Formats: sequence, C-alpha cells, structure tokens
Amino acid sequence: MADIQHYSHDAGWKHTILRGLLYLVLILFAAYYLFPLFVMISTSLKSLSEIREGSLISLPRVVTFDAWTYAWNEACVGVECSGIKIYFWNSVKMAVPAVLISTFLGAINGYALTKWRFKGANIVFALLLFGCFIPFQVVLLPMSQVLGSLGLASSTTGLVLVHVVYGLCFTTLFFRNYYVSIPDELVKAATIDGAGFFTIFWRIILPISTPIIVVSVIWQFTQIWNDFLFGASFASGDNAPMTVALNNIVNTTTGVKQYNVDMATALLTGLPTLLVYVLAGKYFVRGLTAGSVKG
Amino acid sequence: MASLTLDKVRKAFGPVEVLKEINIAIEDGEFLVLVGPSGCGKSTLLNLIAGLEGSSDGEIRIGDRVINDVHPKDRNIAMVFQSYALYPNMTVRKNITFGLEIRGVSAAERDKAVADVAKLLQIEALLDRKPSQLSGGQRQRVAMGRALVRDPDIFLFDEPLSNLDAKLRVDMRTEIKKLHQRLGATIVYVTHDQIEAMTLASRIAVMKDGILQQFDTPQNIYERPNNIFVAGFIGSPSMNFINATLINDNGNLAVSIKRDNDPIILTLKDAPESYQGYVGKDVVFGIRPEGLTHKRTGSDQPGSQYVNFDCKVEVIEPTGADTMTVVEIGGKEIVARVRPDRAPQPGEIMTFSADMSQISLFDPVTELRI
Repeated sequence: MADIQHYSHDAGWKHTILRGLLYLVLILFAAYYLFPLFVMISTSLKSLSEIREGSLISLPRVVTFDAWTYAWNEACVGVECSGIKIYFWNSVKMAVPAVLISTFLGAINGYALTKWRFKGANIVFALLLFGCFIPFQVVLLPMSQVLGSLGLASSTTGLVLVHVVYGLCFTTLFFRNYYVSIPDELVKAATIDGAGFFTIFWRIILPISTPIIVVSVIWQFTQIWNDFLFGASFASGDNAPMTVALNNIVNTTTGVKQYNVDMATALLTGLPTLLVYVLAGKYFVRGLTAGSVKG
Repeated sequence: MASLTLDKVRKAFGPVEVLKEINIAIEDGEFLVLVGPSGCGKSTLLNLIAGLEGSSDGEIRIGDRVINDVHPKDRNIAMVFQSYALYPNMTVRKNITFGLEIRGVSAAERDKAVADVAKLLQIEALLDRKPSQLSGGQRQRVAMGRALVRDPDIFLFDEPLSNLDAKLRVDMRTEIKKLHQRLGATIVYVTHDQIEAMTLASRIAVMKDGILQQFDTPQNIYERPNNIFVAGFIGSPSMNFINATLINDNGNLAVSIKRDNDPIILTLKDAPESYQGYVGKDVVFGIRPEGLTHKRTGSDQPGSQYVNFDCKVEVIEPTGADTMTVVEIGGKEIVARVRPDRAPQPGEIMTFSADMSQISLFDPVTELRI
C-alpha cells in the first residue's frame, strides 16, 4: 500500500513538470507569433515623431488613431490620395460574391458527384481534384485572354469569375468528402417521397451542411481576400483589391516613410479574415474532421 | 393495395449478373419476405421494385401496370430503410408529411393524415422532436409512419429491424405483423433473419447468389425445402445433414447410415415414387432436430413414423424448453431435440426416435430435393 502511494506521488510530480514544460513551450510559440502583431498594433497607434524617437517594442506614450483615419481616408495609392477605403470595398465586392458563388457551386458539385453518380463521375472528380494543384502563375496568361475576350478585363466581375473558377476545385472537394458520409438512403427516401434533384438539395442536403459550408466560406474568403497575384494581374487602378493597394502604399518610394500608416493599412487589410476566423473558427475544425469519422 | 408480379427479372452490373431470372407473383394483401445471406441480391431486388435501380431485363408489374420505366415517385410505393433515413433537419411531423407536401396535399389534409398515423403508431408525443432526439425504436416507428401516411399500393421494408436490439426487434416484429393484419397491405420485406421471414411472411422467397431458390409458403419451405441450401438456411437450430445410402430392406425402402460397428437402418413407410431411382445410391439424409427425439411411439403423435436407434450422447445443451442433445453419427455432429425430463447425460447410450414422416432426402451432387 505504501509502495503504491509512493509511486503515484512520484508520477504526479513528474506529471506537473511535464505540464509546466508543455505550457512553457506553448507560451513561447504563442509569443513568437503574437510579437509581430503587437509591434504592428502599437506602431499603428503611435505618432510618426514618437516612432522616430522611441524603440520598436515600446508601448505608445499617447494613443492616437490618426494613422488609422489617415490610412482609411487620405493615404496615397499611386497618385490618388483618397485612402484605402475604395479598395477595401473593391475587395468586399470581389470576395463576397466569389465566396458565395464558389461555395454554392461546390455544394451542388459535391452533391451531384456523391448522390447522383453518373457515368464518368470519378473522372470528373479526378479532373476537379487536379485543378487544386495547378499553380496560379500557370493560368495567368490564358486567363487574361479569356477575360479580355469576355470584356471583363480590369473589372471586379472578372476577378470574381477568376476566383470562382479557381475556388471550385477546393469547394467541390470539401463538399464531396462531406456528402460521402451522408447515407445514400436519405436521397432514396426523398426520391420515393417524390422530391427531385434540387428539392432534395435545398430541403434536405443543404440544411445539414452547415459545418462544411463554414469550412468552405472560411477557406475561400481567406484565399480570395488575401490574393495578390490575380488582383495585381487582372484588376488595375480604381478596381484593384485591398492587397494591391496595400502594396502600393507600403512600397511607395517618395516622401517620408509613414510606418504608422503602413501598419494601420496592413491591419485593416488583415482584419476581415481575422474576423471570419474569430466568428466561425470553432466550426472550422469541426467541419474539417466531420467527414473523416463515420458517425 | 395491389398485387405484385416479377416476370423474368434480371439485373446485371456490367458483366456481373446479380439477379438471374427472378419470377415471383404475390396477391393483393400478401406479405412477401425476401430472405437470404448477404450478397444474395435481395436488396437489389427490392431496389428494382422501388425503382431506385433499373432492371436489365424482364417485367415488373403492380396490379396490371408495368412499372419498369415509371419513376419511383409515381409507382405509389413507400419504403422503410434499414438506417430509417429520417431527414435529420426536420421534425418528426415534417418527416412524415414531407412526401405529402411534395405531392401538393393541402396543409389541413396533411395535419389530419399525420394525426391518424401518429395515433396508429403511438408517436403523438414525438411529433415535434428531431430524429436525433429519438431512440432506435422510436425512429423505427417514425420511419414506418412516413411510409404509412402515403397509403401506398405496396410497402417495401429493407431490413427494418436489424439496427434494433434483440428484445425490441421481437416487439417490433409483432407490431409489423399486427399492422399488416389491420391494414391488409401488400408488403415486400427484405431480411437476412430466417426467423423474421418465418414469422412474418405469407410467402417467402429464399435467394442465394442472385438465384431464387424457393418461393413458397413458410410451412412448405420448412417442411419441403427445395434443396440443401434452403433446408439449412431456414430453421434454427438448422437441419441435420447425414451422408447415407438408400437401400431396399425386405421390401421397404430404408435409409442406411454407416457407423463403425453397425449401420443405422431407418425404414421408410409410404416412400414417395421419386425415391425409387435412388435405391442403392448415396443420398444426403436431412432431418430437423425436432424430428430426432427421445424414444417415442407412434401413438404420441398421429401421422408420425418413429424408428428407433441407439447412439452415444456427446454433449447436451439445455435451452429450457428443450434440451439440445448432440450425438455423432457418420463423423458429423447431429442435434436432437429432447424433452428436458428425458434428457440424457453426456457419454450415456440413449435410444432416439427419428420421425421418418418429416425427413428430406437430397441428391449429394445436385443438392436438390429428391
């Protein structure tokens, strides 16, 4: 009896040390990732003179949102000095429709590929899957030709089209893998009940797809909002998305380098994706693992 | 309500023929059970009737209407699935009325229909719950409610009880039987459980490897199985099969079973004409455990022909109602059903009675009934 107590006491002690080490490592990693964010936020809240005097990691003596309002309303993108607000809305106008359309089409594709299997369904799926591995750069030239012939060059609509086409492979993959785990009998039962392809989709399949819709929306929103290459290639001037505008502000070579404005602009650019993660993050992991274990 | 006819129905997936010329016809109000081991094609056959898969050949008729090319929703059938296939996002009420809603039945009529069905199945209290909030048995009822509410010509059941625990399965089995008697509906029921088949069916279709082995009433299938497979599949514990020879014993036909010391000779009275061709040849002698008992005389049960023989008892397995007594004959373990008060001890030499009026003989090569 005494022996057992001795052992368990010993194990508890080891356990505590291991726990402590684990937390130490985790805290170090968290700090490593959070430190740049801290520098960005604190710099964006300082005045330019304070940035020049103080050190990089010091907290702002006087908190000012001047840099944020300046970035939003007055910062110069190229020769235009009306802030990044128009580019922010450009990005919204691009990302929201592109995310919704690509998610919706992915859902339809996944549904058709799993529940209405047709001859060659596997080949179609394989080709779609292959689309996930095509690097962006490869399609730049042919895509610009297509957009030109459609009359969509340098427009937000054109960008939406590009992102929908490119995102389709991923969203189809998500939805297909999710729907594989939904029993076919559900569709059979609804067929006998008299429902057709779209009725079953709207009334039965889509209402039980929330986790995977969230995954698809987060993934697509992050991809599309953060995209720089397509934005820089297919939309120019007033139609450019946020990421391109950010680059133009930060990489400007004339005048005084306004670090606080740069930081505020960068934070504004990153904010929407951050928001999406915070709001829907808990569904993300749940949705990603949903298809992997048969419930 | 309607009759159902399957006329030379075939189904092939590419080069693989999963159903080979199935002929089945049932009358209005019959309870047909398709039974067989997994992969025998019984579920495929049910899907053909439902229209969820197209047949490769042959004709399926409900009443006089050929339905081969009719869409499932227009066949006027309802189906209960093994997984119940309840719509997870809808309440029980919605689940039951979904089919009616799609068919454009008015809200007032739907409410009345769902109330009737809920009362019949005693699920009134569950109507506003989601399927995830129901137990297995309750889901089963809801799935049946969804089928009943449509008042179809034919009900199709695809192994509806196999996801329930043993006790509930027996209860639901009785309830399905009651429901059938009350509604007089035509039912096609798929199962791999031969007890379900025997208890529920008005006629059973035993299938194996896509071939219909026998299509008959439960009693006929039990007493006069077409072949060794059917004989072994139906009945629990299953029929004993003993390699034997058919001989002529002083003018009477008899089954002779080889044994180390002396053969067992079981004389047959009124042997069927078909046995004559097998005199002097090897046969497979099939006898059910209840045909093999402790020593009895013909007066115990009129119509029986008891023949006695002695044998050493190997193992006994009491079940309460009967004691299953295992003996070894011809290198095979044979089960006899003995009354508990007459049960022997292992190792004892006991006199058994074989009821020769209940036996089956099979051809050892074709495995068909002689």
